[in-house]
Amino acid sequence: MGNHYIHVGSITNAMRGKRLLEQQGIRSYVHRAGQPAAGDGCGYSLLVTGEAERAEQILRVSGVRVVRVSEGL
Amino acid sequence: MIYWDNAATTWPKPAKVRQAVGQALRVYGANPGRGGHPMALSTSEQIFACRQAAADFFGLSDPSGVIFTLNCTTALNTVIRGLLEQGGRALTSDVEHNAVWRPLTALSPHYPRFDMAAWSEDEEETVENFRRAIRPDTRLIVCTHASNVFGVTLPIRRLGKLARDHGLLFCVDAAQTAGVLPIDMERDGIDYLCVAPHKGLYAPMGTGLLLCRERERVAPLVRGGTGSYSLSAAQPADLPDRLESGTPNTAGICGIHAGIQFVQEQGRDSVYRHELGLLNRVFKRLDGCEGICLYTSFPRYGRAAPVLSLNVAGLPSEETARLLAQEGVAVRAGLHCAPQAHRRFGTEATGTVRLAPCIFSTEQETEKICKLFSQIAQKRLHSGKIMV
Repeated sequence: MGNHYIHVGSITNAMRGKRLLEQQGIRSYVHRAGQPAAGDGCGYSLLVTGEAERAEQILRVSGVRVVRVSEGL
Repeated sequence: MIYWDNAATTWPKPAKVRQAVGQALRVYGANPGRGGHPMALSTSEQIFACRQAAADFFGLSDPSGVIFTLNCTTALNTVIRGLLEQGGRALTSDVEHNAVWRPLTALSPHYPRFDMAAWSEDEEETVENFRRAIRPDTRLIVCTHASNVFGVTLPIRRLGKLARDHGLLFCVDAAQTAGVLPIDMERDGIDYLCVAPHKGLYAPMGTGLLLCRERERVAPLVRGGTGSYSLSAAQPADLPDRLESGTPNTAGICGIHAGIQFVQEQGRDSVYRHELGLLNRVFKRLDGCEGICLYTSFPRYGRAAPVLSLNVAGLPSEETARLLAQEGVAVRAGLHCAPQAHRRFGTEATGTVRLAPCIFSTEQETEKICKLFSQIAQKRLHSGKIMV
């Protein structure tokens, strides 16, 4: 049940992903990393608590590009 | 003033749109998709909400395919140049606006890389004309949904099927029809839909929409900052970022969203019936009147956009418009940036006076306009010169 950041590359992906997850009952928050890693776009990610794997799956199936998933604090 | 120049841009803008634009300037003042602070994120949410609303309104499943542009012309240029600059032919109609004709011509000025199919009042014939004009290297059908001068429509659903059957891409210029006639990109087989939100969606001027159901990638006309993949020198491949560089028009986009909501609240079909009803009234009043020239058949529901062209016989269209303006009626005259359509209807030399009502237009206004046209025509007939 930890926090995970699902890095999605762009703000539009983040906003779209947030809505898609909401529709599936998963609450998420749009987050922007202070120092995005190379390849992370401008660092926009979705912060989800628990259900990270399911959330990632929902995003991928819906065509939202998932750059990577990292553990949060 | 009686404003019947709504085919150029709708006016007045609804209170809902004016409020949304004002709120954007007051509340959503940060640059969306760039920063991570609360105002940047809330502004981004507003932008995305408009993408979603536009996608839903026009039957596009993925809101990432909604691109905000400067206007409908930029959207059309993006598709035409972004698909065809590297090669291939286009097929278009003979009633197009310069927003289609000029970029097609510029692809190869000396050896045109496009063909024109004749519009016909008979939809079957129009589709057949397009079918016959397809060549082996044709890649794209790009055409207007309705003439901005005469209001006549092209059967986009049937042309969409034609494009699909021949493996072609299909782009529709919906400048005069978005918000008025039904458009569903999935159902109608439209790959690229170009919209002028400041017309039928009552949004502010300086806004445009390009909706992409992309089967082939459109190369961007403009490259630059997108707020994504900033370490890369290459433009991001994903939509909307590939086709949206630089700071967006947040206030205008909030206005588009409010405009879509306004049309939905009014009911798109109710808006259309109201506007077409007023033009039907004009047509019935002026058809057969001595000294009045109408160029199309009666504007039928589903077969015409709410745009009607006419002239007072023997009088330049600009002069008729000037006389109407003296009486407080604002209409556009001339060629309306669509010389091809005028050639098709034989009005290239004179231009036409264009009547285009909106949801705020009234029957009283209609009566006054009809009366003025009759008066101008009568004076022209009896004196040979105009005294208003």
